[in-house]
Amino acid sequence: MSSRLTAGLLLMAGALSAQDARQIVAESQRRGRADSQRYEGSLEVVGANHKVSKKSWQSDRLGSYGNSKAIIRFTTPAEVKGVALLVVNHPERSSDQWMWTPAIGRDRRIAQQDRSTRFFGTDFSFEDLEERDVDQFDFKLEGDEAVDGAACWRIESKPKQSKSSQYTSSRVWIRKDNYVPVQYENYVKDKLVRRLVEKDIQNIQGIWTARLLEMTDLGRNSRTILKLENVRYNVPMKDDDFTVQALRRAM
Amino acid sequence: MILLRLISWPYARKHMVRWLLTIGGIVLGVALLVGMYTANQSVLEAFNRTVEHIAGKTQLQVSAGDGGFPEEALERAESDPDVRAAAPVIEQVVDSGIKGQGKLLILAVDMTGDRSLRDYDLEGGDQDVIDDPLVFLAQPDSLILTRDFAARNGLGSGSKLALKTMEGDKQFTVRGILRSGGMSSAFGGNLAIMDIYAAEKVFGMGRRFDRIDIGLKEGVSLEQGQASLRKVLGPGYEVDPPSGRGEHFESLMSVYEMTMNVASLFALFIGTFIIYNSFSIAVTQRRSEIGILRALGATRGQIRTLFLGESAVAGLVGSAVGIGFGLLMAQGLTASTNAFMEGVMGVSANADHMLVRPWLLVTAAAVGVITSMIAAFLPARNAARVDPVKALQKGQYQVLSAGENRRRRIAALTAIAIAAACLALGRSHVIFYSGYLLAVIAMLLLTPSLSLYLSRALRGPLKLVRPVEGALAADSLIQAPRRTSATVAALMLSLALVIALGGLARASYTDIKEWMDTTMNPDFFITTSEVISSRTYRFPDIMTDGLRQIPGIAEVQPVRIVRINFGGNPVMLVATDSTSIARRTRGRKVTAGDFDEMYRDVAAQKGIIIADNLAQLQKLKLGQMMEIATPSGVLRQPVAGILKDYSNQLGTFFIDRALYRKLWKDDTVDVFRVYLSPRASRSEVKGRILDRFTHERRLFVLSNTDVRSYVLKVTDQWFAMTYLQLFVAVLVAILGIVNTLTVSITDRRRELGVLRAVGGLRSQIRHTIWMEAVAIGVIGLTLGVAAGAVNLYYQLTVSRESFAGISLDYTFPYGIVAVLIPVILGAAFGSALFPAETAVRSSLVEALEYE
Amino acid sequence: MISLVAVQKSFDGKRKVTALEQIDLQVARGEMLSIVGPSGSGKSTLLNLIGGLDRPTSGEIRIDGRTIASLSDDDLTRLRRDKIGFIFQFFNLLPSLNCLENVALPLHLKGMPRQQTTARARELLELVQLGHRLDHQPDELSGGERQRVAIARALAFDPPVLLADEPTGNLDSHTGADILRLIRDLHERLGATVLIVTHDKGVAESCPRMVTLHDGRIVGDVRR
Repeated sequence: MSSRLTAGLLLMAGALSAQDARQIVAESQRRGRADSQRYEGSLEVVGANHKVSKKSWQSDRLGSYGNSKAIIRFTTPAEVKGVALLVVNHPERSSDQWMWTPAIGRDRRIAQQDRSTRFFGTDFSFEDLEERDVDQFDFKLEGDEAVDGAACWRIESKPKQSKSSQYTSSRVWIRKDNYVPVQYENYVKDKLVRRLVEKDIQNIQGIWTARLLEMTDLGRNSRTILKLENVRYNVPMKDDDFTVQALRRAM
Repeated sequence: MILLRLISWPYARKHMVRWLLTIGGIVLGVALLVGMYTANQSVLEAFNRTVEHIAGKTQLQVSAGDGGFPEEALERAESDPDVRAAAPVIEQVVDSGIKGQGKLLILAVDMTGDRSLRDYDLEGGDQDVIDDPLVFLAQPDSLILTRDFAARNGLGSGSKLALKTMEGDKQFTVRGILRSGGMSSAFGGNLAIMDIYAAEKVFGMGRRFDRIDIGLKEGVSLEQGQASLRKVLGPGYEVDPPSGRGEHFESLMSVYEMTMNVASLFALFIGTFIIYNSFSIAVTQRRSEIGILRALGATRGQIRTLFLGESAVAGLVGSAVGIGFGLLMAQGLTASTNAFMEGVMGVSANADHMLVRPWLLVTAAAVGVITSMIAAFLPARNAARVDPVKALQKGQYQVLSAGENRRRRIAALTAIAIAAACLALGRSHVIFYSGYLLAVIAMLLLTPSLSLYLSRALRGPLKLVRPVEGALAADSLIQAPRRTSATVAALMLSLALVIALGGLARASYTDIKEWMDTTMNPDFFITTSEVISSRTYRFPDIMTDGLRQIPGIAEVQPVRIVRINFGGNPVMLVATDSTSIARRTRGRKVTAGDFDEMYRDVAAQKGIIIADNLAQLQKLKLGQMMEIATPSGVLRQPVAGILKDYSNQLGTFFIDRALYRKLWKDDTVDVFRVYLSPRASRSEVKGRILDRFTHERRLFVLSNTDVRSYVLKVTDQWFAMTYLQLFVAVLVAILGIVNTLTVSITDRRRELGVLRAVGGLRSQIRHTIWMEAVAIGVIGLTLGVAAGAVNLYYQLTVSRESFAGISLDYTFPYGIVAVLIPVILGAAFGSALFPAETAVRSSLVEALEYE
Repeated sequence: MISLVAVQKSFDGKRKVTALEQIDLQVARGEMLSIVGPSGSGKSTLLNLIGGLDRPTSGEIRIDGRTIASLSDDDLTRLRRDKIGFIFQFFNLLPSLNCLENVALPLHLKGMPRQQTTARARELLELVQLGHRLDHQPDELSGGERQRVAIARALAFDPPVLLADEPTGNLDSHTGADILRLIRDLHERLGATVLIVTHDKGVAESCPRMVTLHDGRIVGDVRR
């Protein structure tokens, strides 16, 4: 009798904490939400051999989590200037991605099966750049933990369908004060493969924004630093600017 | 064993030159066998290795002939729920442009999506294969090379490499190095990886892929995947495991292999006769020795074993030397097989090393030894029959196995009768080939009788030339028909082969010339490559109008050529503007149907014209409904006409280009056939074409003469075997005649001595021997020409029924015979020189005492 | 007619074998002599040297006044053809030719016109009483008949010298006697110089002169 009750309580507690974790993540996403976002990114890849390569781009995003569309246009170096990437996110499945290479004069679809591929020599994979739909993951609040002196929730997420993500599980640290995620750890089986640290968090137009992202690929022992400049939210943008046709148009 | 050492070795040592000549046949046969197989296996293995290494984890490959298919197919393949990964591929072989490095296989893939099938980072280490993937994709001049190729040519990341593209010579930049091992060993390491969309542009393919490599979801069997992909893609697509490409390559190569097989078989056959000859002679010469052995208690069995043992040793030595030569030959043959596959079949393997199979060497040695022992069987039996008493008597000749002639003649006539019946009777392959074999056997059985008859017939003419010498030469042949007939048989066989192949070549030449006159008659052919058969690059459709606007050009006919799968064979499909073609090729030889009508049907997209070799090979008839799988479904049309055509050995379809564009969704062009206005200057128009286009694309303006000489060159390549055969025939003539004469002289030493004793001058002795040799040549030639006439008939049938499918008229190759006569007689005469000198320089006293 | 001065013949093998040593022999025109001696005494070698089938190691041989040593191979052959007739123990007929052709062989070799050759050969065969066997092959003849054919061949050019090496050696005694009679008869009728090598005492003693060899030296030279 009593043991049955205890079990029931434990189950409820588990359900409750999962619910909490999901809510935290959802809240975090909600707070970061804007109708659109524009920024200029600069990218620095520091390989294991300490070779550094730099690139910069301009990013436009329309819409918010689950339904957003984004276009990234590379501006430097000269070899990649004009290369553009269109990402169309879907709430219920993985994103569609297209790429435009002006020197060849055509667009290409980036196959869905390859989202684990590294994003053009950076330490981000294509998947890492997508926004996750909370409904596609199970969350579990693992406890509280401070990151850089700031109090955080530590939340574990697992994809509901194991094949939809390259990772077996991920851990995210979300600051309790402003709901900004400051660190991610991604696991394959039980091995930590990638760590993303978000720094330089500023409030821009009411949205707490990390302006420095540092992704470390532990397997390859290389890291990528992405800096966001001129971040602006709710810039007027048209749906038509986020099509494959639009991708071909020069900036 | 001890007998071999005590009895045989001293004899062999004494007659070393002859012994070596004897095993020459085995050497030749084994060398051809080993050389050919090693070369073929090396090429095949190289191709398979390339396929295998490039295939990676690919389970199935989607293709549609060699013309590729529209990009949309990729999405359809991806939509198949059984498919885990679908990666498009373009594969092209280009000239590396580096001296001594030959061809480079360009594997064009979508690097963003390809890694799930191919492992580019084989050692999984810390360094990237590609320096910067974004740059690699962004710049169409990006290439990844294998470490080997890069190291060999001093190339590294960032190095430039010039390759020929549709837009002319273009600098490419090395943007990645593939680690050693695995994929990098494909195509002998001459592999370059490129972005697939860049490749579409560089090779002028339009939005088309050559292939899609498929990885299936876990738990999906190959058969399941194959079936569901076929359903999704429709009938125009082939879905096969990567190993299927090797089989395809092999089937293309088999035509070449067949010719080589025949050569090797004939060499061994001829070798058998030479060995038979030598052993027969050895038995005669060593009669007294055998007599002594028998008198001392050797049994018949021991004598037979002794000779068989000798032949086994001869076979072994011959095989060993033959294997050595064969491996040397294989190096050259590998290159030529490669060149043949590339030039004629349009597929490349780039075999970079020889693959020596141990079983082949063992088989070759066994074949050599067994052949030799079979050849020695009859002589060994005769040796065992030697009567010791007669053998030891001086001046007594034991005639061994006389009276066989009659039996042989009866057998021969029976064989001829059956062979004739086979011809009259059947279309079946078994009956036909049995008839062929019987005809050969009949010829061989008749050789002794016929050569005896001819020797007798020659006695008169020879006596007329020189009364004594002539008569003696003829008598020498008549006396020892056995000695002569084995040589004659060998000579006859090889000449029969040369004449048949030569006749085949000549008949083809005649036909091909006519075809070129009526069909290949434009003033210019505008191609993407120096050779007209290469289909690496293509022209865009808009060029057609560009060309039409050039002053001096009267007519432009765009032609698209692809290889499609039909009836399990890679058949060529030629899409042209049929109305225009019909107007310009009116003189073409029609096998079935009416010329104007068939082209009207084709232009109206109501019928298909087929080449007569396709009709022959796949037993197709006028009016028969054809079902050709296309990327847009099955094309069902009747055969509107059958034309003589030499575009492709495995057959050709002709359809209207409009229909092709519709069904294949491909408007690219391989060749433009250009006709000039009546008074236009060739050089001026050529200049205008080049001025107009060279800055934007790579093109070659080939004149009619260029193309004709190229076609003839390919034909020559095809018939190069004839020359090899001619060489073998001459070699056989020399080997056989030297052997026969050497023995004849030894046999007739006393006779020649008497001749000299009673007043024969040296010159007269020489003349006798020369005449004997030339007489053998004449007899061999006569029988060879006769046998050749028969063999040609069979070869024409074989080529029609079994591989090329081309029906050729029977024309006896008088030209080749005209060449053969002086060559063989010259060889005969030449081979008599040394034996004749030995005869006149030997001691007279010994010759007279000799017995 | 035949003159040998200090003739020596040795064979080079692993060991040097001297077959003839210091032979001096003069044979006058029309003489008939026998050369006798045991096996290996050098009699056949001597005959071969005289017949020009072989050349001496040293010394001088003259036939009808001509020194053999100075002759070329072909000149020697011509000398042999025109001046010397050979009769061998084993007949040495060509088995493929019939009697007429065998006899005509040297005539043909000299290049005599066909008709003349046939006539002459026929005449010669009649001379040896074989006029009825013109078309027979050698293997259809008896030993004696074969030797007659060989003799007819040897007489083709009425040679002044007739050399016979054991002419009766392969025949029974009766036939042998016949052949010997024929040779003697021819010697008398044609006046040829005849040398017969033999180890048959009867044959030897029937000759007017007998030269005996032993170990390569002349040990006896008897005239009757």
